Amino acid sequence: MFGAARTVQKSGANLQFVRTKRIRAGLDPVAQRVVTQLSVISANRKMPKMLKLSKEDFVKHVTVMRAWGVVRKEKKQAEEAQLKQQYESIKEANEDLKHVSQKLFEAANKLEIGKRFPLELRVPTEYPSRSGWFYDYTPRKL
Amino acid sequence: MVFVQLRQFSNSSIAAGRPGYSLVKPVHHRVRIRKQLLSPRFPELKLPPTDVRSPKYRPFLVRQDRVKEHYHNTLKSDLLLINYQHDQKDVEGPKRRKWDMSSPYHINRPLQKPKGQIVPSPTIRARTWKNVPFFEGVSINCFVEEAKANPAAAIAAQLQIQQITNSKVYPIYAKTNVPTWKLRPGMLMGARTRLTGAPAHQFLSTLTELVLPRARDFRGIRNSAGDQYGNIAFGLSAETVRLFPEIEHNQDSWPNTYGFWLTLHTSAQLDYEARTLLSGLGLPFYGNEKVPLLLRQAQGL
Repeated sequence: MFGAARTVQKSGANLQFVRTKRIRAGLDPVAQRVVTQLSVISANRKMPKMLKLSKEDFVKHVTVMRAWGVVRKEKKQAEEAQLKQQYESIKEANEDLKHVSQKLFEAANKLEIGKRFPLELRVPTEYPSRSGWFYDYTPRKL
Repeated sequence: MVFVQLRQFSNSSIAAGRPGYSLVKPVHHRVRIRKQLLSPRFPELKLPPTDVRSPKYRPFLVRQDRVKEHYHNTLKSDLLLINYQHDQKDVEGPKRRKWDMSSPYHINRPLQKPKGQIVPSPTIRARTWKNVPFFEGVSINCFVEEAKANPAAAIAAQLQIQQITNSKVYPIYAKTNVPTWKLRPGMLMGARTRLTGAPAHQFLSTLTELVLPRARDFRGIRNSAGDQYGNIAFGLSAETVRLFPEIEHNQDSWPNTYGFWLTLHTSAQLDYEARTLLSGLGLPFYGNEKVPLLLRQAQGL
């Protein structure tokens, strides 16, 4: 792939390798392209520079990361607690419904295969466009 | 004359009629000793990768993750409600079965195949607030047919996947020998990668916001796609791949693009749950949807 073996044709179909001078010009453009592609993929010489922190900086970093970890943990715990609360109340409501109306209970507990979030649902952005809202929009029938 | 002395570890146990060696398993050499931790050299290499001073340290959570926030703020509680079933019980998937020991050859024989299948299926756990399905990651598999004749195409495909995903790519090699296709084992055939966490979310939002809305040949993901256990796969054509911004804004460098397969991995236990989740992340679906086999068996339908 990287360089055609130079051969010299002698007496008919016999091919013979001949020692010649090295070609200085480099690879042919097709092979050069592959070499460039490989060098882009390779992780060689792409190591980021290591941070050199002073003792004070290091202590600062550790403190900030710990504190941030605590914040994230609290947020996660709060979310889990809320989900648990939601689950408990769904359960309680279903238990009530079971005794009140069997028909409604069955309707509420139907397996929701094929349930979809609307296609218009977007992952929110920090800066939505100014003219992004179509007030007279009606969803298209798929 | 050669005198061979047999090494005997214990004379008394032989006298007592027991074997002459210990039957207790050794406790020595069971714990791996990492010598680099004992040596005083290269102290920075002994640090754990979570330490900033370690050369292995990689900063994490360095920017906002929109998809993750959207999932936690909007989708998670909805999914809990959608997937809720009252008095739900675990549905045991078919597992490997014991032999009935009617034959002496059944002793030590590997367990029987599960009924009606070859590999056992996982048990479907009842849904609670602890196991709401979430998006785990994407794996990308790009198999290039023309790499049979031209191995450079596989390298170009690797580069393409790397540029699109900004992650380490791994080569794919042919596994089988198909003489009619001129395919032999060990041929370099393409690229694969697996994205999780923030890179996966970034890739997913590029896909759903920039690529798929403009793709001409993309109708949506078929409702019949999926591996039964919550992983859903679909393909992108070479033309659609041109719509990725990394390639679109640098058209001259990409004379050829290569289509690939995407597998969206979720923690859903069944495909229909995964589809509901993925529709919330902006992926459209089309076609008929069936009740999964495991549930049909469980309900006796």
